[in-house]
Amino acid sequence: MNATLATPAIEMARPLSAWRREWRHASWTVRLAALCLTVFYLFALASPFFAPYDPTFQNRLMPDCPPMRVHVAAPPDWDKGLFYTHPMKMVDPTERRYASDPSRRLYIHLLSHGHLFTTDSPIEPFYLMGSDALGRDLYSRIVYGARVSMFVGLVGVVISFSLGITIGALSGYVGGVVDNLIMRWSEIEMSLPSFYFLLALAAIIPAGLSTVVTFFLIVAIMSFISWAGFARIIRGMASTVRGLPYVEAARALGASRSRIIRRHVIPSVLGYAIVAATLSIPGFILGESALSLLGLGIQEPASSWGNLLAAAEDVQNLRHYPWILIPGIFIFLAVMSFNFLGDHLRDRLDPSNAG
Amino acid sequence: MRVRKAVASIATLLAALAALGCHVNRPPINHAREQILYDADLSDPRTFNPILVTDATSGGMIGDLFESLVRLNPLTTMPEPGLAESWEISKDEKSVTFHLRRGIRWFDGQPLTARDFLFTLKVVYDPKIATSIRSVLLVDGKPIQASAPDDYTIVIVLPHPFAPLLFSVGTVPIIPEHILEPVYSAGKFNQSWGINTDPDKLIGDGPFRMTRYVPGQVVQYLRNDGFWMKDEHGGQLPRLHGRTTTIVQELSTAYLRFLSGQTDVFDRPRPEEVIDLRDQQQKLGITVKEVGIDTGSLFFCFNRNPRHFVKNGVASPKLKWFTDLNFLRAMAHAIDKQGIINLCYHGFATPAVAEISPANKVFHNPNLKDYDYDLAEAARLLETGGYHLVAPGVRADAQGNRLEFNLVTNTGTPERDRMCAIFKQDLANLGIKVNYRPIDFVTLVEKLDSNFDWDCVLIGFTGTIEPNDGANFYRSSGNLHLWDPNQPKPATEWEARIDQLLDEGASEMDPAKRAPYYWEIQKILHDQLAVIETVRQIRYSAWKNKLENYRPTVWGLYKPEWIEFKPE
Repeated sequence: MNATLATPAIEMARPLSAWRREWRHASWTVRLAALCLTVFYLFALASPFFAPYDPTFQNRLMPDCPPMRVHVAAPPDWDKGLFYTHPMKMVDPTERRYASDPSRRLYIHLLSHGHLFTTDSPIEPFYLMGSDALGRDLYSRIVYGARVSMFVGLVGVVISFSLGITIGALSGYVGGVVDNLIMRWSEIEMSLPSFYFLLALAAIIPAGLSTVVTFFLIVAIMSFISWAGFARIIRGMASTVRGLPYVEAARALGASRSRIIRRHVIPSVLGYAIVAATLSIPGFILGESALSLLGLGIQEPASSWGNLLAAAEDVQNLRHYPWILIPGIFIFLAVMSFNFLGDHLRDRLDPSNAG
Repeated sequence: MRVRKAVASIATLLAALAALGCHVNRPPINHAREQILYDADLSDPRTFNPILVTDATSGGMIGDLFESLVRLNPLTTMPEPGLAESWEISKDEKSVTFHLRRGIRWFDGQPLTARDFLFTLKVVYDPKIATSIRSVLLVDGKPIQASAPDDYTIVIVLPHPFAPLLFSVGTVPIIPEHILEPVYSAGKFNQSWGINTDPDKLIGDGPFRMTRYVPGQVVQYLRNDGFWMKDEHGGQLPRLHGRTTTIVQELSTAYLRFLSGQTDVFDRPRPEEVIDLRDQQQKLGITVKEVGIDTGSLFFCFNRNPRHFVKNGVASPKLKWFTDLNFLRAMAHAIDKQGIINLCYHGFATPAVAEISPANKVFHNPNLKDYDYDLAEAARLLETGGYHLVAPGVRADAQGNRLEFNLVTNTGTPERDRMCAIFKQDLANLGIKVNYRPIDFVTLVEKLDSNFDWDCVLIGFTGTIEPNDGANFYRSSGNLHLWDPNQPKPATEWEARIDQLLDEGASEMDPAKRAPYYWEIQKILHDQLAVIETVRQIRYSAWKNKLENYRPTVWGLYKPEWIEFKPE
């Protein structure tokens, strides 16, 4: 995604081949990671298309329904649908046991009603990943949950890294009293026990805020905690850059302080920043999950991967309805993908690996 | 050199052992040999003072410490001798004489006499004392007259016959005058025996005394060896030597503790747990039994307290909605009871209509018609009331205020959580925005009985055998009259009517003739929707087979003093 930034300027003339070249350089894990992230971001950007049903619709006749099997229809039946499943019915409401009815076929319509796939009615649904305790389609909830879980990282990184780079570069370049004050302040912030601090801040979010506002508050809280460590590294790099001949030259030519910071200091630390940013996104995703697990993050009925996973907290639920762990797989995949991608970027941007 | 090596390796070994420490050095407690019953409770008590108790947890934790004049038999629901070994009712039914048992002593050795009873009444009737018992003990709104001709006789004189007397006066927990009278005289009774009190200073007379309380962790009890009850062979009761109640934060923890054998009884398994436990009865050596329909009532209630909604002479529009029958009926029609039974209780529940449970065979009103789940009807009622859709999914009242309210319930009960999610979703379809947030029980009770800062609550009340014991909830002046407590005089005609029915029902001595008064109270609550009933759980109980004489009923344990572990 950010790979074009890394390629030397000469290559920029042919961007298509640059992408292709990056793809060829990447190992299969990185390719897989890129693919995963693309899919997840598509989920987030076009949730109504990817989700077959309304994520808050409660089918009260089908709580805790297991994932349904997909069958491929025989070619003569393709006019009705390429895939079908057998409809399920709860046979024992106390034990929530389901039986599928093999005599009937429930055709899954691809690209119809504005969805990637769906059935005629949510009353007789196709649960790709099962349903939750209130009879809501888990897959649809995961797709909508990607909005929160995938963007919490991006927004958080943008906030904390703009803060970190600006403050770090300023501190490192200006030095003296300013540097001292900023660094002591960041030390105070780093010494706060971050998770407890997060809990305390999340607890004061009042009830009745919309999901979007809650989301941004959570992200802002997390960014506020995490900028300090980053600023310190940038500050170190900036104070090294400050003594280098080309910065001295700019200063001798009469460039203003802000121009030097903008044109010389920040670009020199950007490579590191991109790698560090990619590697810190998983922290935000996991942070949101942890908050939601404790009921302090995104509130029902809105979904995030974290609050979906919270249902698996109960051992009882987990034993009987193991598919409620699926959101955890999504979190795992997203976190791993960002880590692989970050590692790859670091290798590519490291001058000693050039060539 | 070799010695040093040996020392080093021993040190390593010790370090490794220390890492495993918690598994190595604590032998498991043998519940049966020690005759100590282990159970679990979900929240911390709020007070240890039996007169000031308002919540079930506190009541349960000190229930075994304090005795009353009579005890109720949960099987027959009839009074049986307690501290009073007998009583006589005069011919005109206007006076009752109780004869106290002789030789009963408080934990500190002081004798328990009629003076303690008179002191208890004095405290309960003091308007400065924050007790929910008072409203139960009023006859025609006035205190009853009690006197003690001698230390072991109590005579109660009434203005007219009062049916609930044995249930109300008879079951008031008696407190020790010699301990609490100085506190009371100093005007500090409301702060006495709080949860910071040293358990040794809680002087009671019951079968167990509290020996230890660690907030958030554990409450321990030891047998009161001087307890007055004896079994048929003259053996000392209770048979158990002690009880230990672990305070857990979550229901699922309580369940896991029972599964692993750390607790001996599991009082209220959740529906999904009942299924699991039933499958494992053999393997775990436990018994799982249906106990019956819950005696309590689980309902949504809307706040109608003008003291909360009217600020500086300006009333919040919510007060108008929450007293508007069109709005309230719409709410009642929006409760999907069958959905709740399926989704929250796995089918182990029945729809609740009347406020008094069918478990109370005498006083339950079976003739009420339920509000059916019907969102179209709910929408129609809202339209009639002038609540129109102003935008898709947004409904507002005639003044243009968007319909939106906060819904609270206590944390740690997944089924209530789901009920709120279901209610919220259905109201969203009607264009009403519900801000739902579960809060911990102590904070919730605080909202309900002191700062009144709430809109709508989902809360459960435990039921009582004698309906007049619920007077503090029914009566407009009661402090548990949730929707508008402690009214100086009834705010509405129907609340005045309920007050009147309570008085009339209490003075009717014939049980058959009493029921209609309470039926009408249930009908009024049902029509005025002061509380919107949801469902009643079908309760189960589970206990280890090693326990003998463990006989749960919906009204409590039958003869709990006889419970013991089988000899090994």
